[in-house]
Amino acid sequence: MTALLAILATGLGTYFSRAVFIIALARRRIPPYLRTAMEYIGPSVMAALVVTMLISPEGNLMPGLPEVAALAVTALVAWRSRNNLLTIVLAMATFWIVGALAA
Amino acid sequence: MNDTRRIIRQGVTDALPVFLPAVPFALVLGIAILESGILPALGWSSSALIYGGASQLTLLTLLGDGAAPGAAVTAALIVNARHLMYSAAMAPTFQQQPAWFRWAGSYFLIDQVFALTMLRINDEPQRFRAYYLGVGLTFWLLWLLFTAVALVAGPLLPQHWGLGFAVPVMFLGLLVIGIDRWPKAVAAAVAALVTWLAASLPHRSGLLLGALAGVLTGLLLERRR
Repeated sequence: MTALLAILATGLGTYFSRAVFIIALARRRIPPYLRTAMEYIGPSVMAALVVTMLISPEGNLMPGLPEVAALAVTALVAWRSRNNLLTIVLAMATFWIVGALAA
Repeated sequence: MNDTRRIIRQGVTDALPVFLPAVPFALVLGIAILESGILPALGWSSSALIYGGASQLTLLTLLGDGAAPGAAVTAALIVNARHLMYSAAMAPTFQQQPAWFRWAGSYFLIDQVFALTMLRINDEPQRFRAYYLGVGLTFWLLWLLFTAVALVAGPLLPQHWGLGFAVPVMFLGLLVIGIDRWPKAVAAAVAALVTWLAASLPHRSGLLLGALAGVLTGLLLERRR
């Protein structure tokens, strides 16, 4: 019962966090500087998200050589090809190959 | 109409490879549910009721560890606070959408859906809506399916194939694809650096600080131009 309530509360809070600006700003004029700020949310959150996945909670960088090589390939392939599938495939191939060679 | 169909299908096609890295994550969640001692079906229901892997994992792990429910919910919501920023970033695009879609679309606004549909915010409203629905529904169905499968298959699979690494790879790829001018690259770099420096903050809230630093950097750079 407690678990169900906790899940429901988290679910409601999560929906709220996704809906609040989409619904509150539906009919408002959004000032230009705010619009500019919003454009920067995407790249900023995603960069922060990637780093969060790569570090331990103590702030130690976890990646070794295979990870670094694969991330470099990711950035390069994504930038040149603009193709997400190709990027994932080549990056993971790099990750596994460098990992096998380094082991 | 035919066009709408084609775009929905495009959304589905784009979502499939981006979902792949979420598969090992679903397995981890499945194992966490089984270990938490919570009824598996109830744990699985969080896939629909919360619909956010990282916060589901946080909540169920903490509950399983015997944390106070209030603390577990708070931690899970802090993990999910980045969605506030997605909501703000999507608000201008959703202004051109009907009310039902603002309410329904919000539910589907997870990381991957944001990252993919962000690349399409300048499409005309009807096309954007079709694409968003294609991506959003695909992710939702697959997440429900795979978190269910994970309850059965999770314990059977070897722990580490390193597949989880595909998750940051996928987000970095989408991040780079979305960069259309240099200030965005600088903002992303600042966000990454600040997140790293703030890594020791509780509940990984360094992510929010880093993201904020990135947005401020963007504003400063745009003002100078």
